[in-house]
Amino acid sequence: MDNLLSLWNDSGLAQMDVGQGIMICIGLLLLFLAIRKGFEPLLLVPIGFGGILANIPGAGLAYSAVENAIHGGDPALLLELGKVLGVAVGEQSKALLSAYGLGGAEAKMLATQLANDAGFSNGMLYSFYSVSIASGVAPLVIFMGVGAMTDFGPLLANPKTLFLGAAAQFGIFATVLGAVYLTSIGVMDFSIADAAAIGIIGGADGPTAIYVSSILAPDLLGAIAVAAYSYMALVPMIQPPIMRLLTTEAERKIEMVQLRPVGTREKIIFPLVLLLLVAFLLPSAAPLLGMFCFGNLLKECGVVDRLSDAAQGSLINIVTIFLGLSVGSKLVAAKFLDINTLGILGLGIIAFAIGTASGILIAKLMNKLGTTPVNPLIGSAGVSAVPMAARVSNKVGLEANPHNFLLMHAMGPNVAGVIGSAVAAGVMISLVGG
Amino acid sequence: MQGSIVNQGVELMLFGMGTVLVFLTVLVLAITLMSWVLKRYFPVLETAPEANHSKGAAAAPATTFAAGDATLVAVISAALHQHRSKHSDR
Repeated sequence: MDNLLSLWNDSGLAQMDVGQGIMICIGLLLLFLAIRKGFEPLLLVPIGFGGILANIPGAGLAYSAVENAIHGGDPALLLELGKVLGVAVGEQSKALLSAYGLGGAEAKMLATQLANDAGFSNGMLYSFYSVSIASGVAPLVIFMGVGAMTDFGPLLANPKTLFLGAAAQFGIFATVLGAVYLTSIGVMDFSIADAAAIGIIGGADGPTAIYVSSILAPDLLGAIAVAAYSYMALVPMIQPPIMRLLTTEAERKIEMVQLRPVGTREKIIFPLVLLLLVAFLLPSAAPLLGMFCFGNLLKECGVVDRLSDAAQGSLINIVTIFLGLSVGSKLVAAKFLDINTLGILGLGIIAFAIGTASGILIAKLMNKLGTTPVNPLIGSAGVSAVPMAARVSNKVGLEANPHNFLLMHAMGPNVAGVIGSAVAAGVMISLVGG
Repeated sequence: MQGSIVNQGVELMLFGMGTVLVFLTVLVLAITLMSWVLKRYFPVLETAPEANHSKGAAAAPATTFAAGDATLVAVISAALHQHRSKHSDR
């Protein structure tokens, strides 16, 4: 009978609390969106599944050794942990957890040692997280792969489109303002670092968003990553209404001048030029843009096709698996079910909308001032989200004029947006993270 | 304190947007300069053949091919004619 009772106490049903139940449902919802609706399935399938794994009651997959010990240890161990962490009564697990969170390096090391001695170890997802995201490796490796898949030809043929990529980054900073405003009127509670990490959702660039929030706001990483990837999937729905609102029929019909052909040597030299500029002007963006340039050089130099294939194929796939599961590990009920998450989701979509609008407005300005015609629709592609945003520009353009193919023209601002959001990320990290 | 976080936000926006703009402007200049230098000082390797391809070669082969096609058709039909007449002779 005792055995039966302890088995029941060990079962998920007995240990489940409401938050975990809700989070498992959210994980299932993400899986549904990814599988049935095709929302960024490459990332939302691992994230959704990781979210379910992280919330299995009693398994503690997303917790560190000490947290697992606090949840599952016997009273004697808890008493000892309490002594190490400076908490008087070892029974209150919440007090222990917060003491562990706030504790100094030495106390943490001792607590970890104690937990390890008692046979507790880091959960699987926790290990994935510390290896792939906390170290910053996974987003950077993915950025290398993205670099190896990117063709800078359209950008090199028409460098002015870089300004559109710059304009669309306004969404990032406008959202930072929104987040600090919400904090100042007392609706939400974000620090300036949190606000910066939320703003980067407007960069519409998953790896950049994850990289920045892993440095500036690790607590919000789950919500930020989920928001960034869901909104990237929603680009074809969010952008067209804004694009139609801000442009006239005549502007949407504008046909652009054929792009000049770009030589191999220009494509090889470009990543090096970009790298040197980053090195001189903004070293804090060097991890992101350095890996990006490296991947692009592998692709363009033409003598290391094997490395280029690995970077944009198997390697990026492997890293995506671990990145997705690690992000999922941040969807733990205690950390995700929070009013701030709603704020992040709301601010994220505003960031997207403002980025789209400012890209279009600057494109209209360029069309008015410049000598060569610029279709304002390509401005919306400035919010990276490669290549989805460029396809949206192309589609809306075709609706107005069936002979108007904007895809190649929109790829310029599109890859400029990637560079722009990486630069914005670098600025944020150097201004706020220091 | 409450005003200060908004100030920080405004500051972040000004500096951030400014840096993005300056960086990308410099990048535009650098790209333009790079393309110009390549075109101006190292035209032999790539730009020259490319120019040939896009202007001279693209136009010229088209006409030569057309002319070649005509002669080719003439030659083949002549050969066919001869072949057939030989066959009919036997």
